[in-house]
Amino acid sequence: MQTLKSKLFFAALLAALGGHAPIGAAAPKHDLYLSVLLSGPGQIMGGRTPALSGVYRSTDRLKVEHVGFGHIRMFQVIGDPHSADGLYLAALNGVVHSKDRGKTWRILTGWDMTEPKGLAIDPNATDHIYAGLPDGIAVSRDRGATWARMNDGIRRSYTQTITIDRTQAGRVLAGTELGIYLTEDGARTWRLVQPTTETTYDLRQSPHDPKIFFAVTTSSGALWSEDRGLTWKPIAGVPKKHTLHNGVFDPSDARRLVLCGWDAGLLVSEDGGRTWLDRTAGLPNRQIWSVAVDPDQPGRLYASPFQQPVYVSEDFGLTWKPAFFEKATAFNLTFVPRS
Amino acid sequence: MKTLSCLALAVVFSVPLARAQPSFKGPMPDATVIVDASLRRAAYLSRIDEALIWRAAMAKPGEPKTFGLGEIVAKLARREDAAACSERLIELMKVPTGDMFWMFPVTAIYYLGRDQLTPEAKAAVREAWRAYMPLRGDTENHWAMYYSSLYLMAQQWPDEPGERWFNGKSSQENFEESRDYLLHWMELTTTTGQGEYDCTHYIGEYAIPLLHLATWARDPAMRQRGRMMLDYIFADYAVETLDGMYVGAHARTDDTTLLEKWNGFSSFFGWLLLGNCPPTVSYGGWGIYFVAAAKHYELPEVIYRIGTDRAGTYAHYERKRTRHRWRNSDVRNAPVYKTTYITKDYAVGSDQGGLLQPIQQHSWDVTWAVPDPRGVHNTIFSNQPHFSTHELMMYFSENPDFMPVTVTSQGKPTYISESKLLGGSPYEQIFQRDDTVISLCHVPAGANFEQVNGFFSKDLARIEEDASGWIFAQGGNAYIAYRPLAPYEWKPLEVGGKRLRSPHGKNGTIVQAAAVAEFKSWDDFKAAIRALPLEIRLEPTPRVAFTTLRGKKLVCTYGAAPIVDGTTFDYSGWKLFAGPYLNAEVGSGKLTITHGALERVLDFKTITITDRVKP
Repeated sequence: MQTLKSKLFFAALLAALGGHAPIGAAAPKHDLYLSVLLSGPGQIMGGRTPALSGVYRSTDRLKVEHVGFGHIRMFQVIGDPHSADGLYLAALNGVVHSKDRGKTWRILTGWDMTEPKGLAIDPNATDHIYAGLPDGIAVSRDRGATWARMNDGIRRSYTQTITIDRTQAGRVLAGTELGIYLTEDGARTWRLVQPTTETTYDLRQSPHDPKIFFAVTTSSGALWSEDRGLTWKPIAGVPKKHTLHNGVFDPSDARRLVLCGWDAGLLVSEDGGRTWLDRTAGLPNRQIWSVAVDPDQPGRLYASPFQQPVYVSEDFGLTWKPAFFEKATAFNLTFVPRS
Repeated sequence: MKTLSCLALAVVFSVPLARAQPSFKGPMPDATVIVDASLRRAAYLSRIDEALIWRAAMAKPGEPKTFGLGEIVAKLARREDAAACSERLIELMKVPTGDMFWMFPVTAIYYLGRDQLTPEAKAAVREAWRAYMPLRGDTENHWAMYYSSLYLMAQQWPDEPGERWFNGKSSQENFEESRDYLLHWMELTTTTGQGEYDCTHYIGEYAIPLLHLATWARDPAMRQRGRMMLDYIFADYAVETLDGMYVGAHARTDDTTLLEKWNGFSSFFGWLLLGNCPPTVSYGGWGIYFVAAAKHYELPEVIYRIGTDRAGTYAHYERKRTRHRWRNSDVRNAPVYKTTYITKDYAVGSDQGGLLQPIQQHSWDVTWAVPDPRGVHNTIFSNQPHFSTHELMMYFSENPDFMPVTVTSQGKPTYISESKLLGGSPYEQIFQRDDTVISLCHVPAGANFEQVNGFFSKDLARIEEDASGWIFAQGGNAYIAYRPLAPYEWKPLEVGGKRLRSPHGKNGTIVQAAAVAEFKSWDDFKAAIRALPLEIRLEPTPRVAFTTLRGKKLVCTYGAAPIVDGTTFDYSGWKLFAGPYLNAEVGSGKLTITHGALERVLDFKTITITDRVKP
C-alpha cells in the first residue's frame, strides 16, 4: 500500500516527466519511436545548434532518450524482423540500419537515393525492403545490402508511403504523387488502383481485417478499400481541403480510426469510419503533423501539433496533455515491437 | 528543407566580426588588365595573403570563441601557430555541428595540417568523422561539399572498416560512392547544364570543394577534373560579369545581392581571380576555405581576359537546367535558356521565365556599371511576385502546407510577401533580344499575387514618367526605357528607391536599354524610344509587338513562342554555351573558351585541357 508521501512523489514525478501514466503492470510490448524536429533556431540544414533533433525512443512512455544521430529530417522508424535490436530508418541521408538499437548505424543506400520517406519490410519475405523515394521506389532483396529501382508503370514516381499486404508476399501498395499503385509481383510491375490529384501521405492495412486498407491524401481526403486495395472509395465526412498526414487504425478496437493533418486537426471515428468526431480540442493548434495509437494501452493516443509538445490522450482524444518535448514537430510516431 | 539559410550561416557563424579588411574597405582596385603572367600571379598571391592574414588575426589570445575553424585554416595555410591550432581543434571536434558545412572546413584543415597538427589533434578529427553523422543535404551544392570532403577523407584514411566511419561504410565504399557521385555531377553539368546555375552565393559552395579536389585528390584524373570544373565554373562566371559583378538571370540569389549587385559571394571571386572589384565583407565568409588552397590554382589567362578585357559589346547564350523536380512536373530537369547582353556600360540578362528554381530565382534585369559598386543599387527589373506550395512541392520533398511560412524564417524573409522582388513565377514569360526584354504576365484570378512589381533604385540618376506611357531612367552611363503594360502606383522601399506596383493579372514590362554615348542628349533618347513601333494588347491574353532600338521586330504573346522578324523563335537548337567567348554543344562534355587568339578547350570525355594561341 502506498503511503501518502510516496503517492505525492509519484504524482510529482509524473508531472515532471510529462504527466501521463506509464504502461500498466505488464511490460509494454512495444517501444515508442518519435522522429522529431525540435523547434528553434539552428534547426536547419547546416545548422550549428547542439540541440538534437532526430529519433527519440520511449520504453516506458514517461521519458524519451535520443537515439543515434541528431538530424533534422528523420521520416520513419521500423523494426527489423530478423533482430529485436535492429532498426531501419527512412532518413534524409538514405535508408539507415542499426543492429544494436541505435548505438551504431550504417547507411544502406548510395548517392543516387535521397530522402526516402516510406519504408516497409515484407512480413512474408523478410529480406525484402521497399523504400519510397522522391523519384521512385527502391527495393532490396537482401536486407538492404543492394538496391534496385523498381517503379515501372508509375507516372510521376514521387512516393511517400509504402504498405505491404501481410497476406501475400510481394503484394505492395504505394502512395505516390498521383495516386495509389499496386504491385503483386514484388514491384516488377505496378498499376494504378486509385488516382489522386496530389500526394497520398499515408496508407495502412487494418490489423483486424487484412482486406481493409485506409489512406489519407493531400487533396482527395481519406480513402477506404475493402478488397485489399483493389478499389477505393472516399470516406464521407472527412474534409478534402486540408492535407492529411496520418490515417491510423486502433489495434485494440476495430471500430476506432484516427486521422490528422494540417489545419484538419485530429478526427476520430468510433464506428469504423462511418462518422467522424473532431478531437482537436485540448491541442494547441489544428496543424497536427502525426498521430499514433498506443498498442499497449487501449484508448491512448499520441499527437504532434506543429512546433508544440507531443501530446497524449488517455481517452481517445477527449482530453489531452503535453507528454514530451517543449516544442517540436514529430514527423512520425511509431511503435516498434520489442520482439 | 533546403539549404534555406546556408547564406546567413556563412556570415553569422563562420566569421566572428568584420574588422578592418584592406580591400573591402579600401579604394577600388586598379582595373588595368595585367598582361604579364608573373605580375598577374603575384597580384593573385598577394590577395590570397591579404585574406589569410586578416582571418588568422581574428583569433585573439584567451578568447576561444574568436578561434574557430576559419582561423585555424588560415593559420595552417600560413604555417603558423600549429600548436595552438591543434589545441583548439581538439576542443572544436568535441561538438561538431554544421553538416556538410562542417565537412569541407575540417577536410581543408586536416590536409593543410598533415605535417603541422599534433597526433592528438589528428586523432580528434579522425574520431569526429566516426562519431558525427553530417546531413548529406538535399541540393547539388550540398552534395558537392559532402562528397568531395568524404572522397578526400576516405582517401586519407584508406582500408578502414565501416565501424570507423559515421555512416558505417568502409573507406573503400565511401571513396567509391563519393567518386561516383562527383563524376555523375560533372558529367551532368558539362553535358546538360548546371542545375544551381550562376548563383551569386552558391558559386562558392561549388568552387571550394572543386579546389579541394584539384589540390588534394591523389588520383591525377580527379585532380584534373577538379581543375577543369573550376575553369568551367569560373569561365561561366567571368563571361557574365560586369566589373566583377555577376549579372543577368540567376538560379539563386538573395534579397541583398538582388539590388546591390556587387554584394554577393561571387564578387569575392571577382576580386580574387579577376582583381576588378572589391571583395565582400569577410572575404565572403566561406572564402577563407578557398584562399587556404588557392595558391594551387591559377585562373587561365583566357578566362581572366574574358572577365577583364573585352573587345566590345556581345551577346552570350546559355542552356542550363532546373534543379531536380520531384513533383508537379513530368521532367526531372527542365531546360533553362539564358540570354545575356553585355556592354562596357551595362548588361541585360534574362531566362525564359517560369518556375525554374524555388524561392530564390531571379529572371531578368538591367545592371549598369558604376565607379564603385559598394552600397549601390545599380539595377532595374520587374518580377511577378509569386509563392505557392505548388512551387515548393516541385522542388522539395517536404510536406506542403508548413513550408511557405517556414521558408520566411529560414533566410528568405520576403518569400510570401506581395512586395517581394525575388523569385520566379509560373505566370511570367520572358523574351530577350539584344538589350530589349519583354516580360509578359498572365496571372490567374486567385493566385498569389495578381500584380507585377518593378524595382526603381535610389541610385538612378533620373526617372521621368512620360505621357507616352514609358518611364525613362538613367543609371550610370545607361539609358533605360521601362514600359509597364498596365496601370501602376508607387510604393516606397525601406532600402531606398521605390517599387512600381501594378495590381493587374494581365500585365508585363518592356525594357529597352542603351548607352548614353549613343545619343546626343537625354531628349534624343526619349524621342528615339517614343518613335519605336509598339502595340500592346492585354486581352484576351497579353501580347506585345515592338520594334527594338536595334531594329528587331519582336512579337511576344503570352503562351506562344516569340516571333523575331517574322520567324517563330525556336529554342530547340539552343547550345550549352554560345557567344564570342564560350561555346559548347549539348551532350558534348566539351567547352571551348576563347579570347582573341587565346583558346582553351576543356574536354570532359577525355579529361584533357588543350591550350593554343590561334595564328
